[in-house]
Amino acid sequence: MPEEENFVHRLYNSVLKEPWPYWVGAVLLGLLNISLFAFKGNPWGITTTFAYWGAWIFQALGGDVSQWTFFQNAKNAKALTAGWLHDGGTMQDLGIIVGAFLATLLASQFRIKKIKAAKQVVAALVGGILMGYGARIALGCNIGAFFSAVPSMSLHGWIYTIFIFVGAYIGSKILVRYLL
Amino acid sequence: MAEVRLDCYGEACPIPLLKAEKKMKELKTGDVLIVETDHSCAIKNVPEWARKKGYLVDIEETGEGTWDIRIEKTA
Amino acid sequence: MSSLATAPATKKEARPRRSQLPYAMLAILAVVVVGVLLAQISPQLSTMWIFGLAFGFVLQRSRFCFTASLRDPVLTGSTSLTKAVIIAFAVASVGFAAIQYNAFLAGAKTIPGHISPAGWHTAIGATLFGIGMVIAGGCASGTLMRMGEGFVMQWIAIIGFIIGSLWGIHDYGWWKATFMDKSPTVFLPQVLGWPLAFFGQLALLGALYLLAEWYGQRSKI
Repeated sequence: MPEEENFVHRLYNSVLKEPWPYWVGAVLLGLLNISLFAFKGNPWGITTTFAYWGAWIFQALGGDVSQWTFFQNAKNAKALTAGWLHDGGTMQDLGIIVGAFLATLLASQFRIKKIKAAKQVVAALVGGILMGYGARIALGCNIGAFFSAVPSMSLHGWIYTIFIFVGAYIGSKILVRYLL
Repeated sequence: MAEVRLDCYGEACPIPLLKAEKKMKELKTGDVLIVETDHSCAIKNVPEWARKKGYLVDIEETGEGTWDIRIEKTA
Repeated sequence: MSSLATAPATKKEARPRRSQLPYAMLAILAVVVVGVLLAQISPQLSTMWIFGLAFGFVLQRSRFCFTASLRDPVLTGSTSLTKAVIIAFAVASVGFAAIQYNAFLAGAKTIPGHISPAGWHTAIGATLFGIGMVIAGGCASGTLMRMGEGFVMQWIAIIGFIIGSLWGIHDYGWWKATFMDKSPTVFLPQVLGWPLAFFGQLALLGALYLLAEWYGQRSKI
């Protein structure tokens, strides 16, 4: 019996408890992106959904986005009218949150990490706004315009690669100066 | 040999590592720095940095989602 | 030289370990219920839910961070995540090329994939995104992952993210007219031919991997 217990314990440890090596994550993410591409006809993306969420909330507060150029695009217009309950991107993005949550619970490592200082709130909001705006005008985030665009052999993905690196450099300087 | 605790609970990536680097400069050979963190990335990037510098590293899970990373300054 | 084992024992009291597995079981049940309910609306919704779960699970388990892959080489001298991201790109490149080439052979009018105009909007947007992700402590995937891990900071970041996205689509018309509509959309195989584009890309990724390996070996700090 100790033999079996030990085996199960070691299996649990390596699959659900100890962090996986980065390369394992890399291969799995690559394979998952390929599968998603094969399934829905275009690859992984995260932030178009955030734009929809923003639009739905704005509409709920009385705003009108119907004349915006963004929603003259057929796909976006259709998604807007169909609502969040019919949006695959919404289910996927919520799934990412829950999947990560589940992973920490299974490892008994879930913990709420509260805000420690006001500057964290500022950093999170400002950083979030920069990401949201930047992703819209670059037509994607680190996934849609980077992880999915480079393997799509699109030039815009490589341009994105250069400049997201530049941005990270600038961000690091700001981080060390104001947030350390 | 001094043992110094560095409280990094609630810090965002990569603050625990940056704080640990900074603190380590103040320590003498033989001292031990204990980084207390609840950031899942820190238990990978802090030991990686420490081992690269040749320090001795030990990670201990101290609770649900909290760890003590013990780093001994070897030189 | 002293060893870690004989260090003075001034440890904090080790807290009794509580297993969260019961909560995990409840969460799995909830996940399955949601999946089934979504399937009632449409099977595609349920599949997207599952893909999301898989991505989130893999990201968290491997502590995968795109932000760190781009930030750490400069900030800490580490390239371990940079190399991992390159591996992910290479794996995806192979599968994507297969899907795209298949569509090409079948005479598809548009090649599938994320292929968009490349211009100043790309450069400016990517720079803003890069700055934001380092300040906020996570990129798009990282923010979602850390929300699930319990980081209140990322629950705040997502609010900023949504606001920024709304602002972005509000201004989208201007960016489209000023830059996107005037920028070329370049699918590399159309310009370089399939073999050069595909193998060239893999070769470039390989070279970047070696560069990252070399750079990471140098004692940085």
